[in-house]
Amino acid sequence: MTQQTWDEVGGLLPYDEFRAASDAIVANIEQVIQGKTATVRLALAVLLAEGHLLIEDVPGVGKTKLAKALARSIDCSVRRIQFTPDLLPSDVTGVSVYNQETHDFEFRPGAVFANLVVGDEINRASPKTQSALLECMEERQVTVDGVTYQLQTPFMVIATQNPIEMEGTYPLPEAQRDRFTARIAMGYPDPTAELAMLDGHGAVDPLPALRPVSDADTVRRLIGHVRQVHVADAVKQYAVDLVTATRESPDLRLGASPRCTLQLLRTARAVAALDGRDYVLPDDLQVLAVPVLAHRLIPTADAQLARRTTDAIIADLVHRLPLPHDRKRSPYENRPPAGNGRAPFEPRRP
Amino acid sequence: MIAHRNLGLVAAAATLLAAAPLSAIFERWTWLIQAVIAVAAVAAAAALARLGRTPLWAQVLAMLGGLTLALTWLFPSGEELLAVLPTPGTFGHFAELLTGSVEAMRSYGVKVPDVDPLLFVTVLGIGAVAVLVDVLCVGLRRPALAGLPMLAIYSVPVAVYVDSVPPVPFAIGAAGFLWLLVADNVDRVRRFGRRFTGDGRDVDVWEASPLAAAGRRLAVLGLALAVLVPLAVPGMTVGLMGTLNSGVGSGLGGPGLGASPGRVDLFAALSGELNQSRVTDLVKVTTTEQDPFYLRFGVADDLRADGFRVRGPNGQRATGNLPEPAERSRPGIERTRHQATVEVTRELNMPLLPFYAEPASFSDLGNSWFYDPNLQVLFANRDNSRSKKFSFEYIRSTYTPQALRSAQPLPADLPLRRQQTVTPDVPEVRALVAELTEGERTEYDKVRAIYDYFSEDNGFTYQLSTEEGTSGQEILDFLENKAGYCQQYAAALAWMVRDAGIPARVAFGFTNGNRRSGDTLTLTNRNLHAWTEVYFDQIGWVPFDATPSYGVPGSTRSAWAPDIDAPEESTPQTDPTDTPDDADPSAAPERGPDQFEAGDESGAVGGGDTPARQTPRWPLLTVVGVLVLLLLLAMPALRRYALRRRRGRPAPVLRTVDVPDGDSAEPGRPLVLVGADSDRARADAHAAWAELIDTLVDYRVRVDPTETPRATADRLVRETLTADAEAGTAARLLGRAEERARYARDPLTGEPLPAALHSVRGALAGQADRRTRLIAAALPPSVLRRWRTTLADGSERLVTGVGRLRHRMLRFSPRRLIAQRVSR
Repeated sequence: MTQQTWDEVGGLLPYDEFRAASDAIVANIEQVIQGKTATVRLALAVLLAEGHLLIEDVPGVGKTKLAKALARSIDCSVRRIQFTPDLLPSDVTGVSVYNQETHDFEFRPGAVFANLVVGDEINRASPKTQSALLECMEERQVTVDGVTYQLQTPFMVIATQNPIEMEGTYPLPEAQRDRFTARIAMGYPDPTAELAMLDGHGAVDPLPALRPVSDADTVRRLIGHVRQVHVADAVKQYAVDLVTATRESPDLRLGASPRCTLQLLRTARAVAALDGRDYVLPDDLQVLAVPVLAHRLIPTADAQLARRTTDAIIADLVHRLPLPHDRKRSPYENRPPAGNGRAPFEPRRP
Repeated sequence: MIAHRNLGLVAAAATLLAAAPLSAIFERWTWLIQAVIAVAAVAAAAALARLGRTPLWAQVLAMLGGLTLALTWLFPSGEELLAVLPTPGTFGHFAELLTGSVEAMRSYGVKVPDVDPLLFVTVLGIGAVAVLVDVLCVGLRRPALAGLPMLAIYSVPVAVYVDSVPPVPFAIGAAGFLWLLVADNVDRVRRFGRRFTGDGRDVDVWEASPLAAAGRRLAVLGLALAVLVPLAVPGMTVGLMGTLNSGVGSGLGGPGLGASPGRVDLFAALSGELNQSRVTDLVKVTTTEQDPFYLRFGVADDLRADGFRVRGPNGQRATGNLPEPAERSRPGIERTRHQATVEVTRELNMPLLPFYAEPASFSDLGNSWFYDPNLQVLFANRDNSRSKKFSFEYIRSTYTPQALRSAQPLPADLPLRRQQTVTPDVPEVRALVAELTEGERTEYDKVRAIYDYFSEDNGFTYQLSTEEGTSGQEILDFLENKAGYCQQYAAALAWMVRDAGIPARVAFGFTNGNRRSGDTLTLTNRNLHAWTEVYFDQIGWVPFDATPSYGVPGSTRSAWAPDIDAPEESTPQTDPTDTPDDADPSAAPERGPDQFEAGDESGAVGGGDTPARQTPRWPLLTVVGVLVLLLLLAMPALRRYALRRRRGRPAPVLRTVDVPDGDSAEPGRPLVLVGADSDRARADAHAAWAELIDTLVDYRVRVDPTETPRATADRLVRETLTADAEAGTAARLLGRAEERARYARDPLTGEPLPAALHSVRGALAGQADRRTRLIAAALPPSVLRRWRTTLADGSERLVTGVGRLRHRMLRFSPRRLIAQRVSR
C-alpha cells in the first residue's frame, strides 16, 4: 500500500474544514458513546497527535466500543487483535512463510499493518507478545527477519485493559506504557446518558450501523493542520517544568521521559486545534497532564503505602507549579517547594 | 567540655571589651593591663573549676578566689605570703583602698591619673563583672542577661561625663556582647552534635533560612526605630540635637538640679569661710594686670523676702573664644586687655570658677564648664573647681565719674530693669533711700549718695560677728546697728540701689589679698568677699564696694567709687603698687539693654537668645516631620496610583509597522499581525492583566500563580463576580486578551481593555467590605507585597553571597586544618 508523504498531503486545511471534519468524527462516535464528549475528543486528539491510546477501565463501560467507534468513523484499514495469553508476537507483526510457487519466503503482514489497530485486553497477552508492539508503536515500522516494513499513516494503536481484574494478566512493562501517548478512563456514564443509552441501544447495537465520516487522507490533513499549531516559548517552558517536576517529585520513583514531553506537547497541539485555536495554552497542558503523564510514572513505596495514585500526584504537581510567563519572578509566587531545591552552594566535603 | 571552655574564654573577652568605655576615664592604660590580669585569673579559675566538674556554686567560689589572688598580687600591702596569698593585712589594705577610692573619686576630675584606690576599684569592678558574666553565660546559659553587668561598666563614664561619651568604646563593648550571644548560640547547637541540614552541609555554613530572614528584618527594623524614635520625641531631641547645634548645653543650671551651681548658698559659704580660724590657700592667680580688681565667681541677683538668692546660671560651653563684648566708645571709658591664669587648690570645691570680669576667652577648661554671659559666672553641672587650672583673657574697663554720670535712666519696661530692681516692701528702707537720693539727678549720683551713706562718718563699722542674712528685717537691723561685714554692706547697698530704681546685684569673689609675689596673688579663705554691682545704661555692670576697706585685706577702690573712709583709714594690706588715682579696675559686664529686650518674661534674664530664637523652629520641624511621615505612608498608594496610570496608558510604539501584504500570507493560515500594532496590543493586554492581578490582590481575592489567565478569569466569574454578569464578561475578556498576548501568534486587538478593567474593579470594590476598600486605597497590599518580595530577595541574595564567601574562606580556616589532621 502506498501512502502519501507529508508533502503530498497538500496545503493547510482551512480552519472551518478542520472544524467540520473533526466535529463530524466526534459526532459520529457520540452516536455510540453518549455523554463522554471530553473522552471522545481526547481520543481523537491522540489520533491527531499521531499517538497511541490506552483505554483503561472496568469492564462494561465501553472501552472496546469507543475504540471500534473511532475506527469505524474513519474510512481506513482497521485491524483488531484480541490479546490472549497464547497470542504470539508473529500474530501481531506478521510472519514470513515459504511460497512454494515462487520458492521464496513471503511476508504475511500481521495485525499491525493497518491505520487503526484495536488491541483488546492488551494485558492478557504475555509480555513477549506485548513487546511485539514496541517497535511499531514508536518507530512505525516492523522488522521481521531483518527486513523492515514501514507502517501506514495514520497509524494508531488503541488498546484497552482492565485494571481491576488482575488474575491471569501481565501488567504492561514501562517501555510499553511509555509508548502510549495517553491513558484514558471511560468512567460510568451519568444517569441521563445511561437512560438515553437504554433508549438508543436497547433494541439494536448502533455500532454496525456507524458510517465512516472521514478517511485516512482527511486524517492526514488534519494531522498536518495540528502540526502547525503555534506553541509559545512560555508554553514549552511550562511543559518542561511540568516534566521536570515529575522527575524531582519526592513521591515518584520514575519520572516522565523526554518522549513524554514531546507527546505532551503534540497532544496539546491537537487539543488546541480541536478547541478551535491555533495556539496552545497552558490550560491544554494542565488538562492533558494526568492522561498523558500519569500512566508512565512509578510512585515511591511511600506514596503507594499512602494510597496516592499517580493521578493524584500529577494533579497536585499541576496545582503547585507556577506558570512561566515572565522572566521576572512574580511577587505572588510562592517559594519553590523545599524538597526540590538544590543546595545554594556545594557541600564542603564531597 | 571544650565548648564550655570556649564559652568561658569568650565571656572573659567580652567582659574586657565591655570595659573599653573606661578608657575615657583614665589617663593611661594601666587599668587595662590590671583588668586583663584579673579577668584572666577569673577565667582560669572558672576553667579549672569546670575541669573538675564542680557545681555552679563551687565555680563561683573559685572565680572569686581567682579574683582575690589577682587583686592581692596587683595591690600588695607587703604582708602577703608568696606575693599572692592574702593575709588579714591584705584585706585591711583593700578596705583602705576602698575608702581611699571614695575620697579619690571626689578629688579627681576626669581624666584621672593612675592612683591605686581608683585602679583597685576599677579592677575589682571589672573582675566582679567577669564573674557575673561567666556565671550567667556558662553556668546559667543566659548570656542575654550578661548584658546588664556589662552595661553597668558603660554607665560609669556616662555618669562622669556631662556630655556624651565617645561612641566607639560603646561599639566595642556591644560587639563583645554580640560575640557572646553568637558563641552561646553556636555552642547550644553543637551540644546536640552536628547540625543537620539535610544535604550534608556543615554547622558553620550560613544558610538563608526563612527564620533568619525574619530575624534580620526585625533587627533592621529595631535599629531603625531605636535611632529614629528618640529623634522624633521632642523632649529627647533637645538634648540630642541641642548639642549638635551651636553647642548650647542642655538643661543647664535649672534651679532644681541636684548639684547645680544655682543651689550653692554663697552667703553662707562666705560667712563660714570668713569666720574660720584656719587660713587655707584657695586660689593662686597670675595676671598681667598691674592692679586687678577683685577676682569674681558668683552673683546673687534674685532678691526675695528672705534675702538675696543665687539664681541658676544658664550659658554656653566655655571653650575657646567667647563672643567679643560690644565695643563701647564713650569718653571716660578705658578698656585694656589682659591675660591671667587661675590655679585652684584642692581646698576650694564648688561648681563655680573664679576669674576676672569680662572674659574674652578661656583655655584649658575642658568640656564640662559653661559660661553665663549675663551673670558672668563660669559654672559646671558635674565638674568642680578642685585643682582646676586654667587661663583666660579678659578686658578691664575703667570709668570716670563723668562717664557714669552720662548714663540715662533705664526705661521702666525693660525686662532687666523690672527684674533687677525688685525689692520686698520695707517702708523704712524705701524712706531712707528716698531721703538719700533726694535732689540727685543722674543715676550715678543716686548710687553715689547711697554708697556714700555707708561711711564711717555715719557710724558704719566692720564687724564679722553679726547676724547673718540679707532679709528685709536683717537689712533693717544692719542699717540700725551699722555694724557688719561685706555681706551686709553689699546686700544693703544693692537693695537700696534697687529701691532707687536702678538694677543692682551682689557679686562674690576674692579681694586681692595680701600675699603677692611678682604677678602671682595667693588668695585664701580670708580674702573671700562680696560687693555690689550696679547696672548703668549703655555701660553695663559697674562694681561698687561699700564695705569699709579696713576690714577687707586687699580691698581696692576705684575712681567712681572711692574710699569714703579714706582720711580715717590707711590701707596697709594692699600691695605696694597701690595707686589710688590710677586707673582702677572694675568689672563691667556689658550687654546693651537692647539685648535684654529679647529676654523672655519669665524672670531668667540670662535666658540667652539662642533658645528664644530656637523655639519657633519646633512647630515648623513638627509640621515637616508630620508631612514626611504622611508622605512615607502615602508612598504605597502613590506607587499604586502611578502604576495604574501607566498601565492605563496605551503602550508606546516600539517598532515600525511591518505588516505583511495580503499576497504573501499563506492561504489557510490565519493572518498574523506582525509589528507595532501587535506589540502594542500585547503590551496593553499584559498591562491590563497585571493591573487586574494587582487589583485582585488589593481586594483580597485569591491569586494563584499556577493558574492560567483563562482559569483565573473563569474562577473570578464562578466565585467572585457571580452577581455581575457584565464584570464577568469583562474578566473573561481580560483573560482572553492576556492568554492571546502570551501564547498566541497574534494578540487580541481592538478590545476595550481599560473599560473591562474598570468594570471588574468596580465590581470588586462593590463587593469588598469597607476595611478592605480602605486598605486597598491607602496601603495597597499589591505594592507592599512587591516591595517585601524585593526586599526579601535582596536579603536572601546577600545572605547567600555571604554564605558562599564564608564557605570559600573556610578553606583557609585553621580550625578546618586541625580538624582534618585529627581525623586522619
